[in-house]
Amino acid sequence: MTAPAPPILAEGLAKRFGSVTAVSHIDLELASGQALGLLGPNGAGKSTTLSMLLGLTRPDAGTARIFGAPAGSQTARQRIGATPQLAGFPDQLTPREVLQYTAARYGKSAPVDALVDQFGLGEIIDRRVAGFSGGQVRRLALALAFAGDPDLVFLDEPTTGLDAEAQEGFVQTAEDYVAQGGALVLTSHHWAEIEAICDAITLIDAGETVLTGRIDAIRARAAVSLLSFDLAPGSLPPAWLAARHDGARWHAETPDSDTTLRRMVREDIAFANLTLAPLGLRDLIDRIRQEEAQS
Amino acid sequence: MTRQTLNELTLTLKILLRQPGFWIPTVLFPAMFYAFFGAQSSDRWAASVMASFTVYAVLGVGFYQFGVSVAQDRESPFARWQRSLPGGAVAQWIARVLASLVFVAIAVVLVVGMAFLFDRVEVGAAALLRLLGICLIAAVAATVMGIALGSLTSARAAVPIANLIYLPLAYLGGLWVPPIALPSVINSISQWTPTRAMGELSWAAIDGRALDPWHLGLLAAWTAVAAGIAIVGQVLVRRSGLA
Repeated sequence: MTAPAPPILAEGLAKRFGSVTAVSHIDLELASGQALGLLGPNGAGKSTTLSMLLGLTRPDAGTARIFGAPAGSQTARQRIGATPQLAGFPDQLTPREVLQYTAARYGKSAPVDALVDQFGLGEIIDRRVAGFSGGQVRRLALALAFAGDPDLVFLDEPTTGLDAEAQEGFVQTAEDYVAQGGALVLTSHHWAEIEAICDAITLIDAGETVLTGRIDAIRARAAVSLLSFDLAPGSLPPAWLAARHDGARWHAETPDSDTTLRRMVREDIAFANLTLAPLGLRDLIDRIRQEEAQS
Repeated sequence: MTRQTLNELTLTLKILLRQPGFWIPTVLFPAMFYAFFGAQSSDRWAASVMASFTVYAVLGVGFYQFGVSVAQDRESPFARWQRSLPGGAVAQWIARVLASLVFVAIAVVLVVGMAFLFDRVEVGAAALLRLLGICLIAAVAATVMGIALGSLTSARAAVPIANLIYLPLAYLGGLWVPPIALPSVINSISQWTPTRAMGELSWAAIDGRALDPWHLGLLAAWTAVAAGIAIVGQVLVRRSGLA
């Protein structure tokens, strides 16, 4: 018996628009029950990559397969869901109407009640979209990605414009979806959100994959902790600590926190309110890339 | 009708019916202009004037609905997202055509109703059926012209450009003013316009005359030119990598 095809298997994706290379070489693989964070600065090629995976943009080179079927084919589209961009949403429709329309495209009835609860659409479900706040349209866009009960979901900046409560609710929904075997691709500028939801990341820069892998493996590759502490006004940390000040507290990265702390005590550094935490994903990636550039 | 087509038709009709900016000019204006400029024609011309304004009604739906929707397909993020959903574009296009026929039917019925009620036009059922057939032929041509327009313009520009083409074409074709009343230079240009061909066919239908192959051929030629423009527009969009 052959193993089922993975939700995403993309190899050597490339796309140019005129003289501009949007994506020069992207490889991606995602298994069921996994969440992948697609990261990169603006203009890195994330949107073009998503567009090729959704079958909306034809790659100039490479292949993208969704559950073994070519991206953009009916078989692939039947199993995926995606958030629409907020701009250009038809003002004349209500969320209930758009959800029902979307589910019908999948040949299903929209689970409106469940989506209303999951995405907090209760108050707006029968109001026309005209006049909605950005957060309200965003909640509707998220619900639309799940309206067809897909096996793979693409979420582009899902929580931009959402209040803290709605963000937490979304993280819970995404975690539940992945725990139930769904596969998820997320682009976001919120690193905490990526860390909370995703198992793996792919970092794209200038149209190329520059770092990819499971987050725990990336952490193991650069086991670094972050020391944060206060110093008396006017005091400075020793140069060997290479600490930086963010305007409120001092922060220093260390691969061996025990040794560093012992030395700080031995040298009578008058620190206070010291905390020790794993290095954030963003800083970790910056460090790995710096090390790679130096080597 | 398949469930997919019904789903698309429901969405299209909801969007269009909730846009007075679309249905007032396309559905109500032809009847209103008929009341202002066409009604109270002499008995001899009354039926022909009614036929002219039904063609004018058909033209507006094709130009505005398809001109705007095709341009939006290219630019609207929502339309782009729709293409990521299962189900084909075929159902979407069938739904658009059916929706346009709904608006065409309402607009034509309003013009004919005004003519019967206020201008006492007397036309038999056979003549009306022939006129309906010409309206369908004109609807095909207007739809293709609308698609060509939408293929070349942005969504924002589609409506003003449609106005720039459609209103002069209606005048040039003799749909507002009988061709006999057009200045001779305009009348000679008029002979080559698609709207004149539509008008001539509608007048022949209402009078019970045979359709002139020249007018059918001229309309077919204009439709073919519009189709060519639409195809080139779609090829350019595909080459840009966005389709």
